[in-house]
Amino acid sequence: MSEITKMRNIGISAHIDSGKTTLSERILYYSNRIHAIHEVRGKDGVGATMDSMELERERGITIASAATNVSWKDHPINVIDTPGHVDFTIEVERSLRVLDGAILVLCSVAGVQSQSITVDRQMKRYRVPRIAFINKCDRTGANPIRVKQQLIDKLGLNAVLLQIPIGLEDRLQGVVDLITMKAIYFDGPSGDILRYEEIPAELQGDAATKREEMLDAVSLCSDELMEAMLEDAVTEDLIYKAIRKGTIALELVPVLMGSAYKNKGIQPLLDSVIAYLPNPTEVTNTALDIDNEEQAVVLKADENLPAVILGFKLEDGQYGQLTYIRIYQGKLKKGDELINTRSRKKFKVGRLVRMHASSMEDIVEAGCGDIAALFGVECASGDTFCHPSLNYSMTSMYVPKPVISLSINPIDKKSADNMAKALNRFTKEDPTFNTYVDPESNQTIIQGMGELHLEVYVERMRREYKAEVVTDRPEVAYREAISQRAEFNYTHKKQTGGSGQYARVAGYIEPIEEGEDAKEYEFVDMIKGGVIPSEYIPSCDKGFQNAVKKGTQLGFPVVGIRAVVNDGAYHAVDSSDQAFQTAALSAFREVYDRAKPVILEPVMKVSVEGPTEFQGNIFGSINQRRGIIISSTEDGAACTVDAEVPLSEMFGYSTVLRSLTQGKAEFTMELAKYSRVPTSVSEELKAAYQEKRRKEQGK
Amino acid sequence: MEIQELNALSPLRAFDESLNGGLGKGNLGVLVSRHGIGKTACLVHLATDKLFRNEHIIHVSFSGNVEHVINWYKEVFRQISENRSLEDAAVIYNEILANRVVMNFSQENVSVEKVLSSLETLIRQGSFNADAIMFDGYKLTVATEDDVRKIKQFAMDLRVEVWFSVSPVRPDVQFDDNGVPNTILKYENLIDVLIGLKYNETMDKVIMTLVKDGETIDPKPMRVTLDPKTMLISE
Repeated sequence: MSEITKMRNIGISAHIDSGKTTLSERILYYSNRIHAIHEVRGKDGVGATMDSMELERERGITIASAATNVSWKDHPINVIDTPGHVDFTIEVERSLRVLDGAILVLCSVAGVQSQSITVDRQMKRYRVPRIAFINKCDRTGANPIRVKQQLIDKLGLNAVLLQIPIGLEDRLQGVVDLITMKAIYFDGPSGDILRYEEIPAELQGDAATKREEMLDAVSLCSDELMEAMLEDAVTEDLIYKAIRKGTIALELVPVLMGSAYKNKGIQPLLDSVIAYLPNPTEVTNTALDIDNEEQAVVLKADENLPAVILGFKLEDGQYGQLTYIRIYQGKLKKGDELINTRSRKKFKVGRLVRMHASSMEDIVEAGCGDIAALFGVECASGDTFCHPSLNYSMTSMYVPKPVISLSINPIDKKSADNMAKALNRFTKEDPTFNTYVDPESNQTIIQGMGELHLEVYVERMRREYKAEVVTDRPEVAYREAISQRAEFNYTHKKQTGGSGQYARVAGYIEPIEEGEDAKEYEFVDMIKGGVIPSEYIPSCDKGFQNAVKKGTQLGFPVVGIRAVVNDGAYHAVDSSDQAFQTAALSAFREVYDRAKPVILEPVMKVSVEGPTEFQGNIFGSINQRRGIIISSTEDGAACTVDAEVPLSEMFGYSTVLRSLTQGKAEFTMELAKYSRVPTSVSEELKAAYQEKRRKEQGK
Repeated sequence: MEIQELNALSPLRAFDESLNGGLGKGNLGVLVSRHGIGKTACLVHLATDKLFRNEHIIHVSFSGNVEHVINWYKEVFRQISENRSLEDAAVIYNEILANRVVMNFSQENVSVEKVLSSLETLIRQGSFNADAIMFDGYKLTVATEDDVRKIKQFAMDLRVEVWFSVSPVRPDVQFDDNGVPNTILKYENLIDVLIGLKYNETMDKVIMTLVKDGETIDPKPMRVTLDPKTMLISE
């Protein structure tokens, strides 16, 4: 158990331009000493910023790999990549649940920016303990004290300074540690040598005041420290313990500072990661028991228990297909047998590796809480692998059906090939993302959970796969349904020389009562006396199934429908499987209108979060979109508005919301239900569909 | 049963009758009792009855848990619709949901000005034409007279009916025979209707006493009581 308590799984999250790449590189440098420090900005001083991917390729390091293992003072640290795009839930959920703690990087000049707010909100939601690092203290206009105040005011964090800077801007020399009350300087060309000195005379007063403030704040998290303060018996150890306790309980956020670029403050930051962020045993993780209606079960970070493992990321690297995993319970050895609880497939663990900054290490065993990677496992991102005795899933097995579709066309042959590769990858990574080729238009259609969701993938195709595509307008996945029972009696007869076709089917269609586990389609055979021979009953079923794939109002699937066949006739020679299929299909088309069909639209549960001052704008924007406000919650300066809004009205909402709230609000949405479209809207939709069909037929 | 019939037979008609036709817009009504007597249930039943009659409701809570409030409504709706075998219950529930907004303030000691300004924002910018506002668990007994006057003014300006459920905050509060705490009396002149709730063991019912109605201060029991099992108002 000693190993696991030393382990840290952390993420580094930051606003673009606050220096995440430089900081990551310094962490790799100090923890592994594997290469010289390289600068992100060009030597010519013009400052063409390279993105981290290019940087990686050039250096052969893997900053952006899903997880990188480093070691600091005998503590293994897994640095997990947090996605830069934080806009859709599945990916965010996956990366945040793998972390046990995080470093929130802020720029000392720009302070808390909109993206910091978004990132922090997500961390709050997933209860990730964090340390703040105020970077770029060497910049003109640096003011870490102001940034700390913004953490309190804008993010509502109980931010507590553990350091103050020695000099600022171009005179930044080091930091004062308020716990040990020592000045720390970073000597040597790469800041490798730490020199501890007395606090400079001019800073002594300020340091003493700030230390008092720090102790007051920290002691609220620990009775022990509080008592020690009253008795004037404060020890460094008591302070460390209290900060650790408060940080893990999300009651306070320690604030450190420095400049990654100038090699100042990184080692104390790494010390703080060890000192204050939790090890895997200090975090509660739960899985869902599939055999028990997805009841939550608490996992224990104990390696003697059966293994529960999450595959959180797939990567097609230079080494082949890697599946990054986190072991939540039990341990994993080469040759162990695991079951993928989604696909129910068993497999043996073949090659097991750990990723370091510049190399990959084959390992025989990975312990509890650890992060490693598997080679060549057939799976999708987010799959859970368990010891065969368990049937747990780390994420709900329920995959919502896509609600929006978009047709995409590659601009040339090369893009087409790349697009195919990208789509293959994305569908594996994200179960809510689908793709297919529309047989009528011969276009590639992608489907997903929202406009933004699809936009992100189109953007990733361009950026990561060099696939240029032209997109159409996104389309809502409507559905059709019937609202009343209607009877049919249809005879299919055809005599065109040779063997003819004959089949008669009679019965009715009716809506299936709404309920939690109502089926989308049901076929009932009520034939008596063999008026339709039993071998043709499945043909009737098949005919109806084909018919409900495409309703006649908008061409969308018909759901919640029961087809009952109770009479019919056949011909000894002319009846066939095909004849009964055709009869059922035609019967459906003929009866459909009499069953008073309606159009259903996806209605989203929309949750908007932002400052209270924009509450009115948020209310107004929902109201304009046929939305229903369910509730609004205010907590100090922040408010959350929950509403139900038809998806078709949500197009472009992110842009509108941004402009209404100066970019300070964000929203998430997920499918709530399918509801009947109001008559006025359904008439418009039908007219547009007819128009489209006329055009297509005219071609 | 159809919705019109359900409304006509509702015990809330007897409740309204005791108040000479209901509280009315621009007025403040208060339900008081000790903790755990069923004020929230009572308030939600009053609100649900209004929703059944196509009125728009804002439910203001200070608990921090919206889900909890929504579940109260769900439960009260379920009981009423099952008791009366309401037709198309699922459809009606979805329709009335559109007329209810839960507004929650999780911050401690939020000011009256803040609450009223958020309500006004919802009504004006959200185009939500509220008929009634239900304050659930507002600490009326520790509010200042000025606060209550502002709420009264708001009710008159925006033409809304305002109901409060009030539990005393301090432990040393004295309750009279009708379940009314002495701390509420300082605002008596600003309150239009004051109803005390008190559990009667022999009847196994919560007795509702109309302590004040308009200018009349003459406590008399109402025709309705609260059933402690179903937590619904009944005749």
